[in-house]
Amino acid sequence: MTRTKQWPIMVTLAVALVALVVNIPLIGALLTSFKPDGAITSHPLSIPVPGTLQHYANVLYAAGYDFPLFFENSAIIAFGTVVLTTLISVPAAYAIVRLKLGGQWLLNAVAAMRLLPAMFFVLPFFVMLTNVGLLDTVWGMIVVDTFLNLPIAMVILARGVADVPIEIEEAARMDGASSYGILVTMIVPLLAPSIAAAALITFLFTWNDYIFAIIITTSAARTVTVGVSQFVTSYGILWGDVSAGVVLSVIIPIVFAIFGQRYLVSGLASGSVKG
Amino acid sequence: MGAVSAEGFPMPMRQSATSARWVLSAPLLVFLAVFAVFPLALGTWISLTDRSILSFSINFVGLKNYADTLRDPDFWHAVFFTLKFTLISTFATLVLGFLLALLVHRRFPGKTLLVTALIMPIMVAPALMGIMFRLVLNAEIGLVPAILDRFGIAIHLFSPHLVVPLLILLEILQWTPFTFLILYAGLQALPDDVFEAAALDGSSPLRTTFMITIPLMVPSFFVAGFLRAVDALRTFDVIFVLTGGGPGSLTNTLSIYIYKKAFTEGNFGLATAAAMLVLLMVVPLIPFLIRRVTTRVGDVP
Repeated sequence: MTRTKQWPIMVTLAVALVALVVNIPLIGALLTSFKPDGAITSHPLSIPVPGTLQHYANVLYAAGYDFPLFFENSAIIAFGTVVLTTLISVPAAYAIVRLKLGGQWLLNAVAAMRLLPAMFFVLPFFVMLTNVGLLDTVWGMIVVDTFLNLPIAMVILARGVADVPIEIEEAARMDGASSYGILVTMIVPLLAPSIAAAALITFLFTWNDYIFAIIITTSAARTVTVGVSQFVTSYGILWGDVSAGVVLSVIIPIVFAIFGQRYLVSGLASGSVKG
Repeated sequence: MGAVSAEGFPMPMRQSATSARWVLSAPLLVFLAVFAVFPLALGTWISLTDRSILSFSINFVGLKNYADTLRDPDFWHAVFFTLKFTLISTFATLVLGFLLALLVHRRFPGKTLLVTALIMPIMVAPALMGIMFRLVLNAEIGLVPAILDRFGIAIHLFSPHLVVPLLILLEILQWTPFTFLILYAGLQALPDDVFEAAALDGSSPLRTTFMITIPLMVPSFFVAGFLRAVDALRTFDVIFVLTGGGPGSLTNTLSIYIYKKAFTEGNFGLATAAAMLVLLMVVPLIPFLIRRVTTRVGDVP
């Protein structure tokens, strides 16, 4: 009797310990970001009470840091990629699954793109974007990040479309609705959870992308993920400022993902591909 | 998890539906042509030339770049390092993720909150994870050396003989939450009645796990394992940020090797040839995974 009563708490403790271990890097960055410079070097294990907001102020306002620009770039690129990916993949998923375009082959080919090494594609992308003057622009980044996310969005949305009961569509067709009408008025509303999952994952992967961003951007379109990781090399290692930058950059995806956890889990678990 | 098949067909396709499917998928097809097919062709062409990062005269050199790459010991070092990194980290994340899923798959206080905390590392950019690892592992100011110091342990985590195990450990730390997520979802999808029957028959929890749970979870293991493996094979961010491939070229993954060829040495021909070789290594794995990941479109002629 006592055993069954004590078990759940033991489980809680065990899971909490694992959660603590996997989040050590985040905890370390969070603690460091609130510590005065002196305490960072002298007391690695101390808890910063009272903390300082100096590092956050430095990152956001001090001269020499382009953090606000990075942040703006990341936001525009992530938002643009979500929009472009959704606009391409929703109608295409419907066309492939319900209107039988290209069948299994096309869907498989798109999904397979995700498994190919990004490093292979980024070299031709670099050459192509240079030639059309889109290197180091948010537009160039939106396009390559759409390439990065289309496969996973297609996988999620194709599954979503396949789950929409076919009877609804048949009834509408009987009433003379066109494919476009059916897509817009029936499929899209029913597909909303899948669209949300695809959009959330697209946002996350775009925000977190490093390979494309480090190669396609140099300054004007630089994203937070690359920008913050370069604080380290360009300015010497000011760990307080670096930590504040890291915390600010990871907070957006974490907040989004926590609020959209349901969609994130369903999206990732539907056999999708992470970045 | 299983393939969802569209039961039956829509009404007999009429003219409008036939044209609609082309119109609706035109954006995808155009995008694929410009950003998948064309780059593939361009990359293949570049790999046959001596193109440099900013070159105006580009000469066709045939398969020379491939021969040079295959003769480069650094390339083979990167191949073996990447394979070792991939195999060990994938296996470990699968085992740990599964154990974690088994642990979490029950009722306990604080479950929702803790599951959220568990999967948080998935949402963090690997590059930023790399920066944070640098911070918490830093010999002077890091959390981890400070804790180890309390126990009287003083080690140089980035010394040549520790750096490889360290990188593998960090990969495991970041991606166990991912395998956990996939395997936990798979575990929740298993039918309850099998387990009730096993319990009625007096099967021990350990026996049930090995004889029932694991066999039923094979598809989930497969998906989680392949996704991890494919991603580990192209690892770039974390290691690039942490060690830059060093000391020397000890921790060059294939992606880092290619990046350095292209942007440090400026030799696009060699870089794309190496990338093509990696592509050819990955391609044979794809059919196994795709069949399990994508939705069945239905009976397509």
